[in-house]
Amino acid sequence: MTRQDRRVLTDKIITALSFIASFIGIAALFWILGVLFYKGFTALNLHTFIYDMAPPGRAESGLRNALVGQLILVAGASLIGVPVGVLAGTYLSEYGGRNGKLAKLVRDISDIMMSTPSIVIGAFVYAIVVAPMGHFSGWAGIIALAIMMIPIVLRTTDDMLQLVPGSLREAAVALGAPKYKMIIQVVYRGAKSGLVTGILLSIARIAGETAPLLFTSFSNNFFSTDLNKPIASLTVTMFNYATSPYEDWIDMGWSAALILALFVLGANITARFLIRKKKGEK
Amino acid sequence: MKKSLLALAALAAVSASAYDINGAGASFPAPLYFDWAYSFQKATGNRVNYQSIGSGGGIKQISARVVDFGASDKPLKPRKLDKKGLYQFPAVIGSIVAAYNIPGIGDMKLKLENKDLAAIFMGKIKFWDDKAIAEDNPNLKLPHKKIIVCHRADGSGTTFNFSYYLSHASSDWANNIGIGKALDWPVGLGGKGNEGVSSLIKQNPYSIGYVEYAYKLKNKFSAAVLKTKSGKWVSPTEDNFKAAAKHAKWTAKKHFYQILALQPGDDSYPIVAATFILLPREAKAKDKEVTKFFDYAFKNGDETAKKLGYIPLPKETKDMIRAYWKSNGIF
Repeated sequence: MTRQDRRVLTDKIITALSFIASFIGIAALFWILGVLFYKGFTALNLHTFIYDMAPPGRAESGLRNALVGQLILVAGASLIGVPVGVLAGTYLSEYGGRNGKLAKLVRDISDIMMSTPSIVIGAFVYAIVVAPMGHFSGWAGIIALAIMMIPIVLRTTDDMLQLVPGSLREAAVALGAPKYKMIIQVVYRGAKSGLVTGILLSIARIAGETAPLLFTSFSNNFFSTDLNKPIASLTVTMFNYATSPYEDWIDMGWSAALILALFVLGANITARFLIRKKKGEK
Repeated sequence: MKKSLLALAALAAVSASAYDINGAGASFPAPLYFDWAYSFQKATGNRVNYQSIGSGGGIKQISARVVDFGASDKPLKPRKLDKKGLYQFPAVIGSIVAAYNIPGIGDMKLKLENKDLAAIFMGKIKFWDDKAIAEDNPNLKLPHKKIIVCHRADGSGTTFNFSYYLSHASSDWANNIGIGKALDWPVGLGGKGNEGVSSLIKQNPYSIGYVEYAYKLKNKFSAAVLKTKSGKWVSPTEDNFKAAAKHAKWTAKKHFYQILALQPGDDSYPIVAATFILLPREAKAKDKEVTKFFDYAFKNGDETAKKLGYIPLPKETKDMIRAYWKSNGIF
């Protein structure tokens, strides 16, 4: 075997292995989606959306309270997490400098926070919000999710803003624009689709979390929009239903999983679409 | 977004006239509390949100005062109640069955000596055709299959009552494993809640686990015939549960502390347990709302309890509990 033959052979083996590996990855995704669609649709109907959770075996049983609760939790967390994350990211990119001491510290801390197990964040919020307040509450759930969200938004904002060429900033300043105007009208505009992508991905990330909600927002068997009280969420409901011994609850757990997966998938695809659009513009 | 949040808040304000209670704890009575809460809400508009997190969690959360009531199948001793500042009363009686999943062997066909059951859960009896089991079941064709033990992974009152019973049936168990809400299991698979153990039994052929009778009914499990304290075979049937429950001697002075396992009598099924409600002593106004719910359940909930496989408390006990509430100013 000549040296060339050997190299060609190695090349072919490695190519085949990578192909198999990527196939396994994609197959797993489609397998999960396939099972979700198959099982999720069996119990998904109008009742899912118009009735609240009920004891096993009732006809008027649905997921309305969990759906509404989930939307409130995710929207609330986004209202806190997105502004804080974007502003902090802006500071890092525009004011803190690439190697500023404070900026480096903030970057390191947010990296650590991003890799913190979400159950730890749940325990933390239990200690600082739930225990002093004396009850589980929607607010506690929102705070836990917002804490998870901030470092993700912060880092993507930082990265996206740094992609905007320095020459654009200089041009804006040369035209006499004050710094805040330069940031809002030039830097943000240049990084717009990147920013939105980061925000969407962070929303998708927190929407699927169960652990930080288990002992913060707890769960509620009834319809409630009061953030001072326990509130139902799709993820905790899914966990409770899927582990229950009741057929109808297990089926509804699958429906909850399907709804959640569609939401996360939708957010992810929108994000990809925006990235592609941005590349197309250039 | 803001607008719709405001609209939602307004909606919440309108429905605020009825009250909300949050409770958490034992999974053993959870199906019943769900059902009671569902009809209580339909009847009064008041909402009792009960979450099944296990007795251990129930005691912990009511001790931390983050829920309005806790629920536990393990009664707390009067001294402990004083220390934690809690009231305690029973809500309903249930039974724990040894549920097995052996293809070909139906409900109440398998007989298990109490000490053999302990040996199975200690991993000392490993196969279904073990001599100790075969002896008591001469008519069964026992498979030579490994026994898969299913137990609780969380702090559980069901585990407490089950291990209390095993400790008294087997000195080996008492010396090596003991009694507790969470045990050091030598073998087996752990599941969260009665729900989790039920799914484990369902998913694993040749398994055995211990669950509340309501879970056995719902899942159509097969359950083993065990022995009474007096050494007679006794089937897990509602009549035999009731026979055991009859022996309960409740006293309000001891905050109804009572363990119902291994009661005397030839028909007394050995693992019967009451499940308890824990209330904070300082929150009298909220306690009144909770007792209102249980008063409603005592009045209207017996049928549901029976349907789900629980034993309602006798009328005298209910009256005793109401007197206990009154004397403590929470009714």
